[in-house]
Amino acid sequence: MAKVFLVDDDPDFVEATAVILESKGHEVIKLYDGDECLEKLKEVTPDLIVLDVMMPRLDGYKVCKILKGDPKYEKIPVLLLTAVAANIPTTRYTQLQGMETEADDYVDKPVEPEELVRRVEILLKRAS
Amino acid sequence: MKEHKGKVLVIDDEAAIREGCERVLSKEGWEVLLASDGYEGLRFAETLRGELEVVLLDLKMPGISGMEVLERLLMTDPKVPVIVITGYATVDAAVEAMKKGAYDFIPKPFTSDQLRLVVQRAAEKFRLEREAERLRLEAARTLRDIAREKGRLFTVIECMADGVLVTDDQGRIALFNPAASRLLGLGQEEELLGRRLEEVVSSEELKIAVQEALAEEGYKVFTQEFRLRDRLIRAHTAPVKGEDRSNMGTVTVLEDLSYLLELDRMKGEFIAMVSHELRSPVAAIEQILGAVLLKEDLGERDRRLLERARERARGLIELVNKLLELSRIEAGMAVQRRELIQVEEVVQKVVELMAPQALAKGLELNLELKASFPPVLGDPQGLEGVFTNLLSNAIKYTPKGGKVMVTMGLEGEYVKVSVSDTGVGIPKEELPRIFDKFYRIRTTQTREITGTGLGLAIVKGIVEAHLGRIEVQSEPGKGSTFTVFLPRSKVVLPYGVSRS
Repeated sequence: MAKVFLVDDDPDFVEATAVILESKGHEVIKLYDGDECLEKLKEVTPDLIVLDVMMPRLDGYKVCKILKGDPKYEKIPVLLLTAVAANIPTTRYTQLQGMETEADDYVDKPVEPEELVRRVEILLKRAS
Repeated sequence: MKEHKGKVLVIDDEAAIREGCERVLSKEGWEVLLASDGYEGLRFAETLRGELEVVLLDLKMPGISGMEVLERLLMTDPKVPVIVITGYATVDAAVEAMKKGAYDFIPKPFTSDQLRLVVQRAAEKFRLEREAERLRLEAARTLRDIAREKGRLFTVIECMADGVLVTDDQGRIALFNPAASRLLGLGQEEELLGRRLEEVVSSEELKIAVQEALAEEGYKVFTQEFRLRDRLIRAHTAPVKGEDRSNMGTVTVLEDLSYLLELDRMKGEFIAMVSHELRSPVAAIEQILGAVLLKEDLGERDRRLLERARERARGLIELVNKLLELSRIEAGMAVQRRELIQVEEVVQKVVELMAPQALAKGLELNLELKASFPPVLGDPQGLEGVFTNLLSNAIKYTPKGGKVMVTMGLEGEYVKVSVSDTGVGIPKEELPRIFDKFYRIRTTQTREITGTGLGLAIVKGIVEAHLGRIEVQSEPGKGSTFTVFLPRSKVVLPYGVSRS
């Protein structure tokens, strides 16, 4: 099973999401901000990173951009999570930004457990 | 002939002549003034300057001579026709008087007819000259007024901070001011006048607005907002009507709303922030419930409660979304861009999107499209929201086994879309309130249905922002039909406008 970085500043969300991913047998490494994620990458290379967009300091876009701009990490699939309503046009740009950062997929929070699991599996399959 | 005429002055030293003149001329309706010598005559001329229509002047008088009186009289009142009375029928004196400016002469003795005639002729001349003078003055004043008005209008238009752009009935540029040039990025005036708008202006919105205004039969102002390079511009376009109410062209006033972009950006950030702050905790709750619900050994009752909790959390997120959407509509941002839309394409897309929901609930969902329809000027995203909301309601409030039907038609100037269901229906007394915010019908049948009570308020807001309207027909127990009317665009896809 896969090794997944789960990066979100909301510990409750991290915990719940970890339960969902672990129920499918994935190994989840819980991280609580962008810097922690980059730090951890120095010692562990995950199969997938689930990354929240809205985080203090280094937000998800920036982390994603750094990862995709680094030959060491660019291959790791990134799933962006956002709690911004996608149907509000003024925030539509956030989605576009997500695309520009070359995230491999993005999904609105909250996400159905089944949907999250399916998206994670598709990304893993594509990467392997 | 007793009509009232003007004043005639008779200057003569002979009383018989004065009285004779007075008798004859008063009968004609003249007001006759008599002077028995030159000085008295000149005093009259002085006080009645401009009022005397004819002066009869005897050339041969004791004291001051008639010739001198004539000269001084004409200095005082140069316009008055003077008829000299020559006592001894010498043509010489008469000729000299004419040279000095007398209008006519009459030799003594004269008959009353001769007098009438000569005075009549002189008065006529006086009247014509005065009339000509009046017309000349009036014309001069009118010309001056027009010039001044034109100048004033020109200055007003040139100095306006808002752009002004005028086209003729063919959509050719007839006039624009510096502000319009700056806002639209136009070049030199002499190069642009007479050119077609679409050759010069790159804004599709403005081209469409001008076309719409030219096609408009009544009087209507078309207001649009559009981005042009780094600017946000609001344009108000109206037809200019001729006397026969035909369209002679259009006038567009352009407001520079670029400062709103920054405001908009800040507002967008604020909304995104609020949205995030409100949704995040609920998202966490929902995710936690989702995680707990993964457990297989949950008791049936616990599972039901947790599922219900998750349902409510989702409802709360939905509520936040809709409130944000509604605040946007109320801020007048429902129609942010207008383009020519084929409504049937939007409807088709929404029906396809909603089909799985209908299917999951065991409903039949049909779309009936018999013909294609004229385009509508609108915001595709907004209209999608309208039909999504209406279909979602129809599906929610129709029990299993029922039918949801979407039909389209054309009614007058409107493209109409009807969403009908065989659902629970709406009681008659509730109908007036269903478009109110947070209004939900509570009956035993609807108790289990979650909703925010904002959907129809949003629908109505968007439809009205498109200058359309929505109607509802319903019968409890039988079903409801919501019909949206959207004004068809009068634009017959003009040259240079692409359908997007």
